[in-house]
Amino acid sequence: MAAAAGLALLALLAAAGAERSRKVSMEYNPGWNSSSVNLLHVRAVGPGDSLHYVWSSIGAPSVLLVATRSPSSALRVNWTQLLSPSPAGAVWIDPPDSVVYSSAVVFTKLFEFSEAKPLGELFYPTYDLSEFSWDSLNHTLNHTALTAELRGVPATDPGGAFANGSLAFRVTAYEAAGRAGPLPSLLHTADSSQLEFIVAGVSPRGNGSRFALQLAAVEPAGAARRLRARSSIDDEYTPSIFQELSLLAEAPNGSSPLSFVQWKAAAYGSPSPRREDGIQCRAGGLQAANGSLPGASLLRAFFGDSLATSCTLSVLNVSFGGEEGHVYQERRYLSWSVLLGFGEPPRDTFWPLVISITAVALGTPLAMLLLGSCLVLLAQRRRYSEYEPIN
Amino acid sequence: MAEEQRALLGAEGGDGPAGPAGPPGPPRALPAACDPRRLPHRLLVLALMCFLGFGSYFCYDNPAALQTQVQRDMKVNTAQFMALYAWYSWPNVVLCFFGGFLIDRVFGIRLGTVIFSIFVCAGQVVFALGALFNTFWLMEVGRFIFGIGGESLAVAQNTYAVSWFKGKELNLVFGLQLSMARIGSTVNMNIMGWIYSRVQDLLGYAGPSTLGLALLIGGVTCVFSLSCALILAYLDRRAERLLCKEQGKTGEVIKLTDVKDFSLSLWLIFVICVCYYAAVFPFIGLGKVFFIEKFRFSPQEASAINSIVYIISAPMSPVFGLLVDKVGKNIIWVLCAVVTTLASHIMLAFTFWNPWIAMCLLGVAYSLLACALWPMVAFVVPEHQLGTAYGFMQSIQNLGLAVIAIAAGMILDTRGYLFLEVFFSACVCLSLLAVVMLYFVNHLTAPSSLLLLFLNPGPQKCAEIAAWPCGKAGIL
Repeated sequence: MAAAAGLALLALLAAAGAERSRKVSMEYNPGWNSSSVNLLHVRAVGPGDSLHYVWSSIGAPSVLLVATRSPSSALRVNWTQLLSPSPAGAVWIDPPDSVVYSSAVVFTKLFEFSEAKPLGELFYPTYDLSEFSWDSLNHTLNHTALTAELRGVPATDPGGAFANGSLAFRVTAYEAAGRAGPLPSLLHTADSSQLEFIVAGVSPRGNGSRFALQLAAVEPAGAARRLRARSSIDDEYTPSIFQELSLLAEAPNGSSPLSFVQWKAAAYGSPSPRREDGIQCRAGGLQAANGSLPGASLLRAFFGDSLATSCTLSVLNVSFGGEEGHVYQERRYLSWSVLLGFGEPPRDTFWPLVISITAVALGTPLAMLLLGSCLVLLAQRRRYSEYEPIN
Repeated sequence: MAEEQRALLGAEGGDGPAGPAGPPGPPRALPAACDPRRLPHRLLVLALMCFLGFGSYFCYDNPAALQTQVQRDMKVNTAQFMALYAWYSWPNVVLCFFGGFLIDRVFGIRLGTVIFSIFVCAGQVVFALGALFNTFWLMEVGRFIFGIGGESLAVAQNTYAVSWFKGKELNLVFGLQLSMARIGSTVNMNIMGWIYSRVQDLLGYAGPSTLGLALLIGGVTCVFSLSCALILAYLDRRAERLLCKEQGKTGEVIKLTDVKDFSLSLWLIFVICVCYYAAVFPFIGLGKVFFIEKFRFSPQEASAINSIVYIISAPMSPVFGLLVDKVGKNIIWVLCAVVTTLASHIMLAFTFWNPWIAMCLLGVAYSLLACALWPMVAFVVPEHQLGTAYGFMQSIQNLGLAVIAIAAGMILDTRGYLFLEVFFSACVCLSLLAVVMLYFVNHLTAPSSLLLLFLNPGPQKCAEIAAWPCGKAGIL
């Protein structure tokens, strides 16, 4: 089934063409008047399809990615059921048979740890993101820039680490292909959205402690997630960062990816990032998880109670900071950007200037060499011809 | 032994007036180590001469060895960091013309050397204080003072060598001094990171004061070199007294009006020089972090690979010097060196191949170029203009290094390493273009000077050229 879905999805995305654009609309808590919970529906409509991103802080912060083959497919939410203890079936796409592919990513935990002197790591009590209280996203919603920000602090904060700080997830949706301005200047298409994870002002609990974010990806039966680390010689858009990591959802027959989460191996320690604010970012191994995801109400609402049995669950930890780095300790700011989307992730290509400089720089001495050789030959011929035969 | 004595006594000139306290003839009762005419004493002087420059070479590349730490502790971007190298070069844009004059006419070799050593020490101390007080502009001032002393000290070092070892050992002495300089740079690259982490362990934290203390400890090498300068001044004075030897002179004559007579060939050599060195020294300045970030090297391994250019050039320079002397054809060697450098930069830019290959190639090419390029000036300039030509060449070389260093830092911050390497490759290409043009210019305008470029100039000429006082990046 997944293979078929994959083919259908690819056909869908390919049919729209490379230079397409989408009409993007954002809707906050559709059909619900309260702002006590956050559910943001981002709908990107193309000529023959529509993509749905459902961001929510119900349970742990999570996003649901759904591709449909109908431009008029709509999100339906049964709010009373969604907020009840058994939310299965509370969120669906109408018409249900237009769904080609669906997937989800949940941000479950934030770890904090220090390097312990004899080899090993000392972990502080984990922040469970499903036990955070999140501010209303409504007032951060910008319908022209297509951005929204979900900000939260732990419901109980005995240590006072969050007294002056918070966690935030900043969402940016795109109508067309392009490149984000601030570093890491990720390339995006109309089939993707950017998410920026921000830790601001949170007091570290240890001298030189580091953070790690845990995220879990849910794939419907058949498809599986794979972590791909790719090194590129090209760091012109993200100076001095050569590694790009992608968490790809692939159908078992191993054709092109169905969806992706992609990021550069860097986080930044400043709201207006520059190269020197770079914080090393490393991904641990991708682990298959079984059992249910506690607190992932939105996923249970969409995928049903059989989430644990019918879907593949994989967990990844992304840690920020290296042995040398104490950037967070000084700046108290960390921002990490990822791109989420459907199909093949966008790939950087050489800047034309690099190619033209290389061509001119290499070509000129060669041209000079040829020209010079011709001149020398000509000069020699003339020299010989000056000698008139003696008669 | 007799030849050595002749060489040494020959330098006094027949009519040197005897010092008031010194007897006209050398005393016979001195032990070997104290007799300026005997080999052991001259070896002692040679050792002092070699260590004279050690401190300045060690401290010159302190920023490169501690790039991560400097940028983190002082909170500066790469362009500001590279300004530390630029500030070293700025004073030398002018001083190259006056170093020789100051030594010959104003201070004399002994006082001059001590003064330049004091400048080097003071510069390093101010540099370290700048870090201690967390004021970056003070660090830049320190590098400026250091630059005033450093390059002139290299000239003084060569003048001492000529004064004591004029004759057949001179090339060997230059070779040893060069090797010592390279050892200074290599030791610095590999030890400063360790010193920093020791200081960090001692203080319990990393910050500007850690950096300042580490740099002060590095400054001990400068104090050591200063003491060498003092002992050398004493020994030189003593030798003058005992042997009625004259004080060493650079013999450098610089007339700026000569510049208008410089031929097209000489200008092309200047272009080769500026573009080539601009693609080597600023690259080494940024190299350590490049190998860490692009090739995922550990800091120790990155230090090692970044110093490989110096390590290779220490033994290869004398070998290549000999080879170029024997074979001639300088322009072909320069062409080979420039093409090899281009290949190594392109490898570093566009591949993830093991960078040891590219860096070893760069080391070999750099050594070859230094041996083949600098003597070429003597072929295209009349002898009386040689001083001006070399002074001018070093001056614009320093200007080029300063400008390119800052430009490289800015490019790295905004465009990344790929673009930086493409930029360096473009510099090397410009240099390559100049080599090709030089070849044809000589071919077309004056076939006779073409012959000069291809012929072996003879050992005497080589020694004469090699004796010419040059700065850090120069012939040595």
